[in-house]
Amino acid sequence: MTEQDRDQDLVAAALASAPPPEVSPGFLARVNARIDAERDNGWFAILDFKVWTLRLAPAAAAVALIAVLWPANSRSTTSSSTSTASTSSFTPASATDWQNDVNANALLEAALAGTTNAR
Amino acid sequence: MDPDRALVEAAAAGSREAFDELVRRHQVAIVSLARVLTSGRGDAEDLAQEVFVRAWKSLRSFRADSAFRTWLHRVAINVIRTNQSRQGRLMRMFTSAADAPEAPSHEEPVDTALARRQIIERALASLPEDMRVAVTLRDMQGLDYRDIAALLDVPIGTVESRIFRARQRLKPLLAPLFRAEK
Repeated sequence: MTEQDRDQDLVAAALASAPPPEVSPGFLARVNARIDAERDNGWFAILDFKVWTLRLAPAAAAVALIAVLWPANSRSTTSSSTSTASTSSFTPASATDWQNDVNANALLEAALAGTTNAR
Repeated sequence: MDPDRALVEAAAAGSREAFDELVRRHQVAIVSLARVLTSGRGDAEDLAQEVFVRAWKSLRSFRADSAFRTWLHRVAINVIRTNQSRQGRLMRMFTSAADAPEAPSHEEPVDTALARRQIIERALASLPEDMRVAVTLRDMQGLDYRDIAALLDVPIGTVESRIFRARQRLKPLLAPLFRAEK
């Protein structure tokens, strides 16, 4: 064994003989408290509105996008269906209803007969 | 055979009693490691607690391809390094300036456990981090070269070289201990 090897062994032995540090008596209790605290924080995080705001941001963006794009299509659909409905419900009798100078008898006659020339 | 295996399996299944026993078994080693790696900065116990909290959270991902003890040391080194980088370069500079290891006084009494420990910690604190980690894991924690290489993700030859050079540097710094033993 060379002197270098002996030195290596000497240092290794000195380090191995280092007295262990004193660990405070409450060490284990504090570890457990921290584990519990992290778990509780996990539940609080579920209730945290900031977390949910971030989580729901993509969904909110999608809804906003749909809201912007939706009226262009739906307006034309609604207006066309309205006009269709009004056309289909337009009857000669009801046209009579809108004439200012119609008299009561003509109106009654038109309603009963369902004709347009109730003047 | 890993002596902790049964406890690890029970703890991974959710047994806090089993995990408590694991903490009891390894707390001294992890506090000791934290003290050396932080150069006795004073928050070693806090960091050691953080190591066990992290271990509890990741226990289900532990695969038995290494001993629990080796895995726990890996967790410890990750936690301590993350903490050190979080503190930032300025803080490290401040710490290294303020806590620079004093040259061991030759008048210092070495017959008490505390004095012996102080001499060793100061000597280790003077080493570059890569040497300090390697020699601590080998000579104070008792891990074998192969485990250290895997843990630090370096070739085994690098581990051997770091430990060899670390011991060379430590020898004059530990001289008071050798004289006391004569």
